[in-house]
Amino acid sequence: MNVAASDKQLTSLLGNETLARLERLRLQPNRRKTNRTQGEHAAGKGGSSTEFADYRNYVPGDDVRFVDWNIFARLNRPFMKLYQFEEVMHVAILVDGSNSMKFEGKFERACQLAAALGLTALMGVERISAYVVGAAGEPPSVMPPCSGRVSMRRLFNFFERAECGGDATIDSAVESMLRRHKGKGLAIILSDFLTPASLARPFNLLYSAGLEIFALQVLGPTEIDPELTGDLRLVDSEHGRTVDVSSIGELHGIYREHRERLEEHVRRQCRMRNGRFLSISSDAPLDWVLFDLLQRQGWLK
Amino acid sequence: MNPTGFLSPSFAWLFLLVVPLVIVYFLKLKRPRLEIPSLVLWHSVINDQRVNSPFQRFKKHLLLWLQLVILLSLIFAAMQPFLRGGPGSAENLPILIDCSASMAATDTEGGPTRLERAKQRVEELIDGTLPDRVCLIAISDSARQLTEFTNNKRVLRKALGALTVRDVSGNLADGLRMAQALARRETITSVTLVSDGNFGSLETSANGQVIAPVDIELPFELKYERLQTSARNMGITAFNARRQAAVGSDESLTPWNVFVRVDGSPAEETSGEVVLEQDGQEIGRQPIALEPGQSKRLVYSLESSGVSNLVARILADGFDGLETDNTAYLTLPVSRSLFVWCDSELESYRHALGVFPGVVVYPGPSAAGQPDLFDLAITETTEKANPNLEASVRLVVGQIPEDLSELVTSRTGNSPVVDWNRSSLLLQHVNLDNIEITDLPVRGDDVLDQQFREAGYDILATGRTGPLVLARHAPGRETYYLLFHTDRSTLPYRVGFPVLVKNVIDISQHAAGLAEVQGQPTRVLDARTLEPNQAYTVTGPGASDQEFRTGPDGVLSGIPAPRVGIYRIRGSSGTVATVGASVLDAGESSLASADEIVPRDEELRVGASTTTIDTNRPLWPTLAWIAFVVLLVEWWYFQRMTARVAS
Repeated sequence: MNVAASDKQLTSLLGNETLARLERLRLQPNRRKTNRTQGEHAAGKGGSSTEFADYRNYVPGDDVRFVDWNIFARLNRPFMKLYQFEEVMHVAILVDGSNSMKFEGKFERACQLAAALGLTALMGVERISAYVVGAAGEPPSVMPPCSGRVSMRRLFNFFERAECGGDATIDSAVESMLRRHKGKGLAIILSDFLTPASLARPFNLLYSAGLEIFALQVLGPTEIDPELTGDLRLVDSEHGRTVDVSSIGELHGIYREHRERLEEHVRRQCRMRNGRFLSISSDAPLDWVLFDLLQRQGWLK
Repeated sequence: MNPTGFLSPSFAWLFLLVVPLVIVYFLKLKRPRLEIPSLVLWHSVINDQRVNSPFQRFKKHLLLWLQLVILLSLIFAAMQPFLRGGPGSAENLPILIDCSASMAATDTEGGPTRLERAKQRVEELIDGTLPDRVCLIAISDSARQLTEFTNNKRVLRKALGALTVRDVSGNLADGLRMAQALARRETITSVTLVSDGNFGSLETSANGQVIAPVDIELPFELKYERLQTSARNMGITAFNARRQAAVGSDESLTPWNVFVRVDGSPAEETSGEVVLEQDGQEIGRQPIALEPGQSKRLVYSLESSGVSNLVARILADGFDGLETDNTAYLTLPVSRSLFVWCDSELESYRHALGVFPGVVVYPGPSAAGQPDLFDLAITETTEKANPNLEASVRLVVGQIPEDLSELVTSRTGNSPVVDWNRSSLLLQHVNLDNIEITDLPVRGDDVLDQQFREAGYDILATGRTGPLVLARHAPGRETYYLLFHTDRSTLPYRVGFPVLVKNVIDISQHAAGLAEVQGQPTRVLDARTLEPNQAYTVTGPGASDQEFRTGPDGVLSGIPAPRVGIYRIRGSSGTVATVGASVLDAGESSLASADEIVPRDEELRVGASTTTIDTNRPLWPTLAWIAFVVLLVEWWYFQRMTARVAS
């Protein structure tokens, strides 16, 4: 990590002011996928929270403590008052640590965003776990599930120490994460999604595991708009494979089309599973991303 | 006609180099390596590009295109393309180059001579005319074909480089006649003439233009490219001497009057001094100033008893365009009497000869010793009948030449003179009217004057039935035939008879150089009589020795003298004669220039063009420059591209 940290700052990833503003934000999943354990998410009727949900007829055997006696007095029939469940949501954060994330501060920006989103989850009393997947076939760096404000330090330390390097693909990274993850909730994936394989399989696995997909694509500025000219031999950072490109300056238009097509592919895969997708540049201001873009897109509230 | 062509189309095989160039470009292209996060997008981009445009890789390779442009430019340059100069180009092109005396003139002080400028222009024509075949013809006193029709530049340049000025007048008609002869065996549509416009016979037309008439019909288009001329010049155009009249028979001490005529150029005033040298010693110096186009005659009087060599020089004030006409040579002969042989039977002639001073008549009481060669022989025998009698001038009386015996015969009868050539040297001022002649030369049937000319005789006087007086001119020998005997006519009793004798004396004196000598002009040295059947070596200015041989008659003739200077004739016993040749041509010294050439058909007048003729324009230098510039662009583009990737 090369983010300079002041002694007074809580973490080198995010500024104190940013942290203060993040404490007031919460993740906004499209669907409430919660666990039965007690939590702070109202997860449906029949819970024991103070939030009223509905009425139903009394049936023998019901707990008479939940009979609405005022209605019984007016209607002379017993009705049961139903309250919402307050259940915990499990937030799994997956950061792509492959070689392709080394360029143009993509990995650093991904860690900052992961820490910020994790912080909002902790502030929402959710259980979070984090994974950084580098090399395929090797165990990922894992932050075990934790919750509460007390875990904030642990979250920051994990992403501050995260290392980047390897040839893992999104497919293998998701598989690796799901082998260790338990519980429904939300899966936040931060990657460049530059993979030749289809994303359908890993996203199906996440969906089957009860995880709503928040896919955040982090690209470098030259990946978004490559200013290259002439005849070049391009080398893949992950596999070392090469491709010769002539008059590369004339291919910018085609490249842009293919990049947008890739974004659309990822977005469609997310939407098909009721998830969300967003693509940002690694040089985009962090505060703008957190407090403007993500809020406007409904990721945070 | 195709507006372009190639001098070396065989170099087209170099186009095959395009294939290895393209292959090597793509195989050995040194591409800068650039590490990027992932090739996923680029793989799809390349696949998409290949699917959409199979030839896309050829499309935007600027470096490859630049290299192809360089290669193609060099190949085309090697093929030597050219733009045809329109109708100016022809398949066979004779180029006439004037190399007469005026072409040695310089129009600016220290500048190139006109011939050098003409050669430069012809070289441009050669470069611009090929692959058409060119034939170079030099025009001076005659035309010389320097090369055959060829497109070999080396041969043409070599011939052009060896061309030098001849100090003689230009004979344009001869050059055109040679081109006309070439046109009979080659297809010639146009002929180019490069000259300063100074030809042998210039005339001024009614509209004031200087024209050069040529008595020849032109079967081709003549392009007359005249060099720009602006020289001023002063030159010696005549140099001769005449002996002053003598009183007695011995006139060895009779002084000479020497005449020097100096002409100025027609455009500007000229001035200077004329210096006369005798045997290396300056004997006279006269200032001279000439108005434009004016000429002056200077007279010097000098004593000379033996052979004396005179040199006249012009020392011009300031710039003088033509150097060669500033010097003239003259050789004064030994002063002696005229040796005349007159048959004893010809009393009338002997009587008339006795009247004139300076004449020694043989045989006679005052004539001691007999010379081997008489200056004049008046005899009743022909040269063939009396070969022992040798004379420079022979007057045969009452005899018909043996070789004309089939053309004319002599009978007895009355033969009045019908007509005679009053301008001939022999009969000038001689009145032959009403002379009674009892001999009757009769021309054969169907014999024409042409047959006499073909036999080498000129008819000077004609009677009713045939010729009366004939003349035959041979180098060093002049013979006059009176086909009637004067004793059988009334001629000796007429005033014309002593005039006739005086005329033949004058002719003899002129032939012997006793009474009047004229400067030897360049072109061909005058014939002279030397030892018969002997070899002589002639050494002229700027030329190697030439061998000549006299015939049985001892006449040495036909010695070319193309340059101004001294010519030495050496025999086995040493130098036998020294002759100085000079330009002595008013036309050449005037440096006048013809505005038009007027052939026989005056509708085809050829005007002078001072602008260069549109010739084929070679394109290879342009292509070479394009290749060089494109090479620079390619280098700049490559450096710029490399720098951008590196940054």
